[in-house]
Amino acid sequence: MSTEFSAETELRSAVERLPANSLKPLRQSALTGFLKTGFPGVKQEDWRYTNLQAAVTLSQRWLSADRGSIKKLPDSAASVLQQLQEQIEADWIVVASGQAFLDGSTISDADISVRLLSTDPQAAEQINTADPLSSFNAALMTDGLVIRIASNSVIKRPVAILLFDDSDTAAALSNARIVIDAGVNSSCQLLEIHRSHGAAEQFSNTVSQVNLQAGSTVALTRIQDREAHHLHTGRVAARIGADASFNITSIDIGGALIRNDVAIDLAEAGADVTMNGLYLASDNQHIDNHTRVDHRVGPSTSSEEYRGLLNGNARCVFNGKAVVHIGADGSDAQQSNHNLLMSDKAEIDTKPELEIYADEVKCSHGATVGQLDPVSLFYLRSRGLDKDQATRILTSAFATKIIEESPVAAAHDYLQQRSKACLERIIAGDSK
Amino acid sequence: MANDTNNIDSFVNRRYEHGFITDIEMDSLPPGLDEDIIRALSARKKEPEFMLEWRLKAYRHWLTLKEPEWAHVHYPKIDYQAISYYAAPKSDADKPKSLDEVDPKLLETYEKLGIPLHERARLAGVAVDAVFDSVSVTTTFKDKLAEAGVIFCPFSEAVAKHPELIKKYLGTVVPQRDNFFAALNSAVFSEGSFVYIPKGVRCPMELSTYFRINAANTGQFERTLIIADEGSYVSYLEGCTAPMRDENQLHAAVVELVALRDAEIKYSTVQNWYPGDENGKGGIYNFVTKRGDCRGANSKISWTQVETGSAITWKYPSCVLRGENSVGEFYSVAVANNMQQADTGTKMIHIGRNTRSTIVSKGISAGKAQNAYRGLVKIMPQAHNARNHTQCDSLLVGKECGAHTFPYMEVKNPSAKIEHEATTSKISADQLFYCRQRGLSEEDAVNMIVNGFCKEVFKELPMEFAVEAQALLNVSLEGAVG
Repeated sequence: MSTEFSAETELRSAVERLPANSLKPLRQSALTGFLKTGFPGVKQEDWRYTNLQAAVTLSQRWLSADRGSIKKLPDSAASVLQQLQEQIEADWIVVASGQAFLDGSTISDADISVRLLSTDPQAAEQINTADPLSSFNAALMTDGLVIRIASNSVIKRPVAILLFDDSDTAAALSNARIVIDAGVNSSCQLLEIHRSHGAAEQFSNTVSQVNLQAGSTVALTRIQDREAHHLHTGRVAARIGADASFNITSIDIGGALIRNDVAIDLAEAGADVTMNGLYLASDNQHIDNHTRVDHRVGPSTSSEEYRGLLNGNARCVFNGKAVVHIGADGSDAQQSNHNLLMSDKAEIDTKPELEIYADEVKCSHGATVGQLDPVSLFYLRSRGLDKDQATRILTSAFATKIIEESPVAAAHDYLQQRSKACLERIIAGDSK
Repeated sequence: MANDTNNIDSFVNRRYEHGFITDIEMDSLPPGLDEDIIRALSARKKEPEFMLEWRLKAYRHWLTLKEPEWAHVHYPKIDYQAISYYAAPKSDADKPKSLDEVDPKLLETYEKLGIPLHERARLAGVAVDAVFDSVSVTTTFKDKLAEAGVIFCPFSEAVAKHPELIKKYLGTVVPQRDNFFAALNSAVFSEGSFVYIPKGVRCPMELSTYFRINAANTGQFERTLIIADEGSYVSYLEGCTAPMRDENQLHAAVVELVALRDAEIKYSTVQNWYPGDENGKGGIYNFVTKRGDCRGANSKISWTQVETGSAITWKYPSCVLRGENSVGEFYSVAVANNMQQADTGTKMIHIGRNTRSTIVSKGISAGKAQNAYRGLVKIMPQAHNARNHTQCDSLLVGKECGAHTFPYMEVKNPSAKIEHEATTSKISADQLFYCRQRGLSEEDAVNMIVNGFCKEVFKELPMEFAVEAQALLNVSLEGAVG
């Protein structure tokens, strides 16, 4: 039932060629795991709306072409980094083509430790390979990035990770792995910014693992702003300990084929998660957001709100799943998904799911699909605004809620500016 | 309180009331399924050639299919070769014209079920086409219906008397190739009901069929076809009980509804088949394909169901809203207790302009039961101004049960307005305490709360069904809270 993958030999030798560091056995076992399952296919329930064929074909070609890893940070990455540094107040670190470049890191806080996965056996032990894309990632990772926040520390300045891929000269495939460990009672803010460059096609497959120890607080804003013809799959898997709180906002404004998975494990009593998301899609973009939250013990809380605005031939998917396990009494799971369709050709497939095996729970979900409210449009136009202006006001109000509530305040201005530009493009497409 | 707990325990331990076996000689085909069995079945039912061909086509397609596994239910593999596909009471040849001629043992069965046929038919003014296992035993009120031009008869009779209608409509809503169980049904269906309401006729009474599964090891494969011609109206009731069995029984029915221009069909079901004992032993497997086609403009199809029985329910009454301004409705109460598993819901396919659909689903889980709502709302690109409102609520009673919601919404038209809401909760201690301090016993309090939870659906049921449904619900659930 999986998508056909015919470059097994090439994949094996690509894994062999990777640097012979301590990650080798890990890569081998991930490879074995991946070869058992292959890439997921549309016959699988979780992939029924998203066909990975283009990414698989690209991966096969890349593997056959025998391209090695890059040695230095590409110039394109440096210039994007510079722009971002001017716009967002944060400490920066760059992961380019799946490789972490620690040299350029501007992180100086003694409570943050930044190292490579190959030098952190404890983190390497916990590498997540639970699904096919994570195994594919682990099999092909050159090295990973590990960020540890010391216990009882409060990190004021956000840590921003730029995930960059360059396919200027040839097609590119990258598998970045980020491991974040927030110590007991620590607090930090993270940014994950996805950018890309290059006329050739590329497929980036990233995995971020976040471990929140007891009492910690982690805020993560993920901004996926890749070039319009690039493919991306990204997973954020978080384990949330006792009384820890995770707040993640996932914003998608770029890319051709995007699939995001957010998997949250509320593992201990008092764990809490807020998951929000915004997707602005136009032309032929395909953006798929899958989220899953497991309430394993109670009390634990999860709340989720995803909003989407679609124009052109865009197709978006939202699948939010909340699972309340046996004995997780006192769980509270709220979920909502709202979509605005602005064109006849756009399509939204939304599926908010609940699976509940405990009875002391409060769970609800809601989903709506509609177009811009004609009454509101009429009101604004009766006040002298033209159609585009009125549309602009209503769409930006729709998007702003998620941006304003995104947990890393330092990125708000940047996000507003980017989403405004994106909405302009969407509205322009509308009046064509 | 201790007294109440005892009462509750006795309710929990209550055996299935309708579990008994009527000892009548059966005329069955040997277990197994191949083309010969289908030929024999078709011959025994004296069917014309086109029916046999139709069945064989379905069977050949069925052979290429795999049993679906996506539903949120678990059961041991079914051996389709161990099932006997035909069972009819012996007295088949000379069908009784009135109740006096009916085998007294059969009548006794209905007495035990609390549905004395003649009484009920006379008092309620309902025509009953009672299906006892696979062959219709008696049909009442036929004359009155004939006066209005309504055809309401057993399926086999319709095949013989109205082959043109069968040829025109059979399989046009649920094709033979639709799914695994529909293909199986198309190959081996033995009996069912056929209804045709002519143009502009409002059916003078509510039509009702009581199904029972009787002989051990004979899966019952019902086929129901209802056609409401232009401007007509019909309300159809379907209710079922089945005797206690240790071996699981398979029921794979197909129901097809066709509503032409300005027609309306209201289809109500109370399903109370044997759910198996508290350890999950026995019980009916209920794998049903029900679909209505709003073929003409301004047509309406409304499904109302109260599902309390069956070990496993796998059922999605759907509406294909093809005609402009057509309306689809789905109201459901699904109760699962002990080891029952229910995966039920609906599909609303919006194709025509200005089509509207409403979904109200109430799931109640108790004991160790798993209850899932699975629904699809699909808006096709040409369905301008489509409107859907979905509400699914789950009520959990007990620590070990599960309540799940899998709603799919696929929207390809921007003018659509889709809303989906779902909640899951339990009967809270506060609510119970409030009722108790007003002097209600615990079970009365639970009944009241549960009935309030289901009210929106019950009010859609015809009167006599609503009363039965409420009683059923109380029996199914009492004592689940303790």
